[in-house]
Amino acid sequence: MDIGKITFLLNDEPVTIYADPAESLLHLLRDQLGCMSPKEGCGRGECGACTVILDGKAVNSCLVPAGKAAGKNIRTIEGISDGKSVHPLQRAFVEKGAVQCGFCTSGMIMSAYALLAENPAPRQEEVKRAISGNLCRCSGYKQIEEAIMTAAEEMNENRVRFVEKEQKE
Amino acid sequence: MSYFTAASLDEALNVLREAKGKALIIAGATDLFLKGMPSQAVDIASLPELGMIVEEQDYLSVGAAVTHAAAASSPLIMVKAAALAEACAAVGSPQVRNLGTIGGNLVNAAPAADAAVALAALGAKAVLCDIDGRRRVEELGNLYAGYNQSRIDSSREIVLNLIFKTCQFNEGSAFARFASRRALSLPMVNVAARVGLENGVFAEVRLVAAPVKPAPTRLFKTEEALLGKEPNEETRQMVEELASAEVKVRGSLLRCSADYRRHLIGVLAGRVLMAAVRRVQDKEES
Ligand SMILES: Cc1cc2nc3c(=O)[nH]c(=O)nc-3n(C[C@H](O)[C@H](O)[C@H](O)COP(=O)(O)OP(=O)(O)OC[C@H]3O[C@@H](n4cnc5c(N)ncnc54)[C@H](O)[C@@H]3O)c2cc1C
Ligand code: FES
Ligand code: FES
Repeated sequence: MDIGKITFLLNDEPVTIYADPAESLLHLLRDQLGCMSPKEGCGRGECGACTVILDGKAVNSCLVPAGKAAGKNIRTIEGISDGKSVHPLQRAFVEKGAVQCGFCTSGMIMSAYALLAENPAPRQEEVKRAISGNLCRCSGYKQIEEAIMTAAEEMNENRVRFVEKEQKE
Repeated sequence: MSYFTAASLDEALNVLREAKGKALIIAGATDLFLKGMPSQAVDIASLPELGMIVEEQDYLSVGAAVTHAAAASSPLIMVKAAALAEACAAVGSPQVRNLGTIGGNLVNAAPAADAAVALAALGAKAVLCDIDGRRRVEELGNLYAGYNQSRIDSSREIVLNLIFKTCQFNEGSAFARFASRRALSLPMVNVAARVGLENGVFAEVRLVAAPVKPAPTRLFKTEEALLGKEPNEETRQMVEELASAEVKVRGSLLRCSADYRRHLIGVLAGRVLMAAVRRVQDKEES
């Protein structure tokens, strides 16, 4: 096994590690960087539990060779809130009962996060499609879809409030 | 292993040349990573010259490193080559579509690879460049050595782009697949068509189905029977019968029997043909 130096941005912080570039980004995050939110369900791109955002796009971190992560910007659920309060998606998942065992949750939320970044007011169909690569064994998808729609509304209301405040000042 | 992210095509070709067969091209890695990484990988996924979708006169060029997600949401592809947009939108899941590329789909050479089937119906050719800088243009059908085996040697050759004629005013294309669920399941069958109408009858037809042979397979007899016919319910039924009679298919214990597959090819052939026709009619009406 050849070890190489790999540098990338993880939740806006530069990290440099020494790893086999053929290792998966998932293992790199969990085993070397202690970033435990991406989960290993299938290890072959079929369950979405390992979903992270790579340069703005949701990807299966179990399919990304570490070498590909070099120079990229990677976001996990650890990096979506402002550190003071949880992200609207996280709050909506809790409030709508979209979490049971929680194994799929961080992957679901990252897929939803990528969707809302591109499409802040998605239709139900678009939400379904955005999480079609994420399996949930427990909660059923209805609550998850509701949570994502609710979070989208809240985020849009926040934006409106922000703009109104700016205009007053 | 060593991992090299190429910054230009020349750089990628140089590394391949110096590695003397030991280095392999890698794009989205969605196929290669699970199969096993090579001892040296040359990543071409972010080469700008391989990521472009451009229209030049009557032709569309789609870079080999264009992802399924990018192709599925490209207005150019949606309007001028709808079958390809539909095929790419059907691949795997959003996460797989964000990584997987059209070039990788072709070189992986799965018999029912979605993008490859649509490209075959569109009449696409692949532009390749080898380590000595020699370029050649190949019909897709010539690129298959067997089931899941490409003739393209990714240790000394790179697919640059796919080129095909855009659908003109009197032309339309469509793609359909049948799988056990809509996301994350490989198709039991996929079919794509490109049609041209003149004076209300079929003047040109390309109808492609998979998995039939190692490469996406044109249904020549069905195509020929359609020429001069009007697109209507009767024609659709004829296509259903002819297409399923024309193909010799294998069953798979896991996915479906040969009879079922043949039936599905007939039904989907009828559907994609009519969907392609509707695209022409929509243009004529608007
Ligand atoms: C969970 C999952 C679901 C999937 N679902 C589908 C599906 O529904 N339909 C479908 O068709 N496929 C599916 N696939 C397969 C795969 O995602 C696609 O075939 C994809 O297009 C492969 O592209 P890639 O860029 O990831 O290829 P890579 O894995 O990077 O490469 C594949 C092969 O092509 C070679 N190669 C890649 N690009 C070039 C190039 N430009 N020049 C020369 N050689 C090259 C590589 O050397 C390698 O041998 C799925 C895969 C997974 C993991
Ligand atoms: S662990 Fe990556 S998709 Fe299942
Ligand atoms: S909450 Fe258990 S898998 Fe989704």
